[in-house]
Amino acid sequence: MHEKAKDLAQAVIRKEIGRREFLRRTGQLGLGAAASAHVLNMMQTKALAADFDWKKHEGTTVNLLMNKHPYMDAMIANLDNFKELTGMEVKYDVFPEDVYFDKVTAALSSGSTQYDAFMTGAYQTWQYGPAGWLTDLSEFISDPALTNPNYNWDDVLPNLRAATAWSGIPGAPLGGDGAKQWAIPWGFELNSVAYNKRIFDQLSMTPPENMDDMMEKAAQIQADVDGVYGIGVRGSRSWATIHPGFLSAYANFGQTDFTMEDGKLMAAMGTAESKEFHAKWVKMIQDSGPKDWSTYTWYQVGTDLGAGASGMIFDADILGYFMNGGGNAEAGNLAYSAFAANPQADAPTPNVWIWSLGLSQFSSQKEAAWAWMQWASGTEHGLFGARQMDFVNPVRQSVWDDADFQSRIAKSYSGYLEQYKASAPGSKIYFTPQPLFFNLTTEWAASLQKMVAGEVPVDEGLDQLVDSVNRQLRSVGL
Amino acid sequence: MGSDSGWKRVLRGVLLTIVALFFLFPIFWVFLMSFQTNETILRIPPSIVFEPTLQNYVALISGKLVSNAGVLEIAFMKNLGNSLILSVVSVALSLLLGVPAAYAFARFKFRLGEDIAFTLLSFRFAPPLLVLLPLALYFQSMGLIDTYFGLIWVYQLITLPLILWIVRGYFEDISEDIEYAYRVDGNSWLRTFLKISVPLARPGIAAAMLLAFIFAWNNFVFALILASADKQPVTVGALAFVTASGIQYGQIAASIVLSVTPTLLLALYAQRYLVEGLSLGAVKG
Repeated sequence: MHEKAKDLAQAVIRKEIGRREFLRRTGQLGLGAAASAHVLNMMQTKALAADFDWKKHEGTTVNLLMNKHPYMDAMIANLDNFKELTGMEVKYDVFPEDVYFDKVTAALSSGSTQYDAFMTGAYQTWQYGPAGWLTDLSEFISDPALTNPNYNWDDVLPNLRAATAWSGIPGAPLGGDGAKQWAIPWGFELNSVAYNKRIFDQLSMTPPENMDDMMEKAAQIQADVDGVYGIGVRGSRSWATIHPGFLSAYANFGQTDFTMEDGKLMAAMGTAESKEFHAKWVKMIQDSGPKDWSTYTWYQVGTDLGAGASGMIFDADILGYFMNGGGNAEAGNLAYSAFAANPQADAPTPNVWIWSLGLSQFSSQKEAAWAWMQWASGTEHGLFGARQMDFVNPVRQSVWDDADFQSRIAKSYSGYLEQYKASAPGSKIYFTPQPLFFNLTTEWAASLQKMVAGEVPVDEGLDQLVDSVNRQLRSVGL
Repeated sequence: MGSDSGWKRVLRGVLLTIVALFFLFPIFWVFLMSFQTNETILRIPPSIVFEPTLQNYVALISGKLVSNAGVLEIAFMKNLGNSLILSVVSVALSLLLGVPAAYAFARFKFRLGEDIAFTLLSFRFAPPLLVLLPLALYFQSMGLIDTYFGLIWVYQLITLPLILWIVRGYFEDISEDIEYAYRVDGNSWLRTFLKISVPLARPGIAAAMLLAFIFAWNNFVFALILASADKQPVTVGALAFVTASGIQYGQIAASIVLSVTPTLLLALYAQRYLVEGLSLGAVKG
């Protein structure tokens, strides 16, 4: 029976039959869906081995530093296939996200050889790359002796490829001239609205279409639904408060964090448009945000949506995705919608967070580590993770185009594919890359907190922020 | 002092109850949370009535966590074991080194004695992060990174100064005449130390040991930077329940209950020494 299933899997690989047909026929053979998927995955892995010397580093052990994340769980679930393909061993250290970047920074800054490859965010590469802690991966990607011919780097969404490449020159565009590929995109999130459909239906309400509409609808939920507040957004004193919904909406009004004047970076939060936007955002939180907004991080925003404590969130699309399952009270009630804050804008402009894979400059076995990286960021594993695990959002177009993935998402996540299609073209990193990113963006969040608390008027707060940011930039010669 | 009037006793009882409730309620609530599912914990409004479940404890002890993202492996019991190893061995080593050293500092005046004692205390001055990166570099070159031996060594920065300085105070409180009397009978310094001084300072040693154990148990950053995931203590391990796909409040509560248990048991055991020891060292005669 297994042999027949393997033959059928070969037919899928030769594209003679589709995956659904394969599952149907293996079902007739008495093989369950999970077992069929396993056979197909195994055969696809074997097919990978045909055109490339995957066994080159047989017997080598690659050491990974990873964050506790569904992407990591998907990788572990498929790891046996990599081991079979390459004959390599993989050891991984998994740390909780709260402390993960402390661990990475300590390992890299001390020149540790303990880890070969690790998970990183794109923003972090602005610190790690220019410091000489990361390997430029362009040379690996372009070398046919090191990269399998099916890797198809161009399949990775172009904005994400660009977002993980930078020249190291403050203010220079991501992916621009002289950019080094500091990391490989692995999974990403863009920012859109996730809302509680039960509550919206109860109020005969449609998802918000622009900033004013969002403010009104959030206020209406706050007023009309007992024990539920209008909208969840992050508010802790951290750069992470700025990068999701806030920056996505800010960018939609054509606003930027910095401008380049006479070769110098200048803070750009003090424009009239910026002040108007900030005032609206602040009012929205004051009127319809969570009571203890200034402590809100990813976790609180997500938990409240899942528990039915908030009507909607403007945050990472995958946060809403995760909250629509498991033991959450509102699982199955959540829906998704793309969001353009500016009524005059053509399309949404979501800022993105990209979990990526980096190769340590201090690794003593870079080629072996790259073998794992190209497998983990390849199409086969991407398909496995997207179809069977929570390896979303995929960074490859071919995975987004996969019919099985699409039908799985469409079935359980109402409006998710649509919000993605509407948001994807404009989604990219809207921050200006510069070495003080974390400090200055955290100060932005602190400034926002003061405005929401009423400690400082919005105009004045932004003027103070601009002065302070410019002073800090000048103090380090930028 | 005459006996309190009735209303004063009632008032005192009410105030004590309020204070006890204020301090104990969060612990009580966490204890209740540990027997609830995430969905029950996050009910709006929260309720004290629920159907108890042991699933959080089962998940922690079995190492399998069922979450939104499927079944995840968790290493909480391993983390708990690491905390026990690191704290117990570190405190034991510090007692072995610190008690004789404290006695020497209390009883003998020797060259650079105060300087050495102050240097040991100064280990507590610097924030750990300040010394951790250089330490990581040294540890790497010495092959001590990611070893229990290396971690226990570093934990001495926490436990040794604490034990040394607390116990020194107790030794200074003990009258030297008792020791002289014992020595006059022909006993050696070592015997006097072991048979007279240590037993007399036992409450102080117990108090210092307990405090050192609590400090070591609560340490977070040393193992995080200097060791891999399989040697992390419970303080780091408990964070694994805060994941991108949601916070597992039930498991966090259960992990808190399990992780405070060793310290609580030790504190209960050492309570009589602790109260006596803390008050004894408070006033110098």
